[in-house]
Amino acid sequence: MPHQQRYNNGSMTNNEAIERQRQYEMFQESLPKVNKILFQMILNEIIPLSVRIENQLTQGNEFQNDTKLDTLGDSSFDKASDLDNITKLKDLSINAKANSETHLGNISSPDDVLIYKLSQSVDENENKYNNILKRIRDIGIKIGTKLVNLLIFTNNINLNFKEMDLLLIMKFICRDVWKHVFGKQIDNLKTNHRGTFYLTDLEYPLLQSFCIETNTIPSQLNEEFILNKESKLVEPFLELPVGIIKGVLLSLGYPLDEVICLATFIDKPKERIKNSFPKGISFHVQITKSFLPQQQKQ
Amino acid sequence: MIYSFWIFDKHCNCIFEREWTLGSNTNNPNALSSGTINSKQNDEIGKLLYGMIFSLNSITQKLSTSISDNQINNNIRSISTGKFRIHTMQTATGLWFILITDFKQQNYSQVLHYIYSHIYIKHVVHNFLSPYDFALNPKEQRGQGVKKINNRHFINTLEAFLQSMLN
Repeated sequence: MPHQQRYNNGSMTNNEAIERQRQYEMFQESLPKVNKILFQMILNEIIPLSVRIENQLTQGNEFQNDTKLDTLGDSSFDKASDLDNITKLKDLSINAKANSETHLGNISSPDDVLIYKLSQSVDENENKYNNILKRIRDIGIKIGTKLVNLLIFTNNINLNFKEMDLLLIMKFICRDVWKHVFGKQIDNLKTNHRGTFYLTDLEYPLLQSFCIETNTIPSQLNEEFILNKESKLVEPFLELPVGIIKGVLLSLGYPLDEVICLATFIDKPKERIKNSFPKGISFHVQITKSFLPQQQKQ
Repeated sequence: MIYSFWIFDKHCNCIFEREWTLGSNTNNPNALSSGTINSKQNDEIGKLLYGMIFSLNSITQKLSTSISDNQINNNIRSISTGKFRIHTMQTATGLWFILITDFKQQNYSQVLHYIYSHIYIKHVVHNFLSPYDFALNPKEQRGQGVKKINNRHFINTLEAFLQSMLN
């Protein structure tokens, strides 16, 4: 595979090319390896974990507010009511336990319950839902920025980003980043050459086993209804790759607020569905205009 | 010929059941070619089946300890009756995979193992939308209720895999 030619336009003799390829392979081997299944499970686990963190944070706040009110009231009491206070505190702790069952479920709820409750909370508590999505995205951004350092700024001689324009960076995301994180490349990259890109992944690996559990046999239910519900459940899982894309762009000089990245579901060819997740994912990446002319001048 | 397939979880509850001999009464065009999935009318049979396997297995366990040979796994693999054979496989996590067939083939352990390792693992364990434990109550002892696997990818893959062995 002529990997090195993608990033180096300078002419090279055949021997040099072979040597570079050999060095690149050595670099690949030197990268730390991890079991793919385990890695993907950990990546997916970020989503229920984020829900748990949000639950714990909001719970903590509610609890703090409660105690504040209580201590304010207490200041008017004298020492004789200390015993009262202790019983009150005990009550409080019991109350806290009773309150710990929020509408997003308990901290110790199983993952699937948290995911189902998260998708229900879109309408009930949008603020909290968005907080959770933001937390997932932030984790993705951190993974993205660190990944670029790992792939470029260590000892990969084949990647030279000095002359790289946006298109080459997007190609880098499609090929190298996706390959290292998800074990496959993006299926299709489209651009209008004005800062808009569409990255299509028909078989986004982290979702392939996902399938909704229904109360009755699925063949008795409306297919469209199932698909809609399933898409809603899966939506939070797309924030992670969105964050990774934004993180890569961030560390290559495109600030977060200059980049819009959205993930949407697209249909995939019927013959490719075969008992796997029925939708492909399209990532719409847009670099805002204020940042583009500068790039074009160069 | 395969008659039915069952999965029991570690709480002794049936979490999946596929029956090929009973006709389905539904007029739904999407319904299965024959037999039923997770049908209520098989609940009692499931309990009896599990009870039989559970007690037989505890007897064989006791026999193996009395011989004081802990190296060999003395779980039951199959039970034969006058009309059919029951093939069983227990996983280390406490799941039971059970297949009821005729006498044509002696050993279905590879089939059961394939269902566990390639179908159950892929479509239920790796599926974040599936519960880890199908019991409704985390402290499930007996009879607090259980969900069933109603996951279309799991059902379709299993169906396609077992279809070839039906007759």
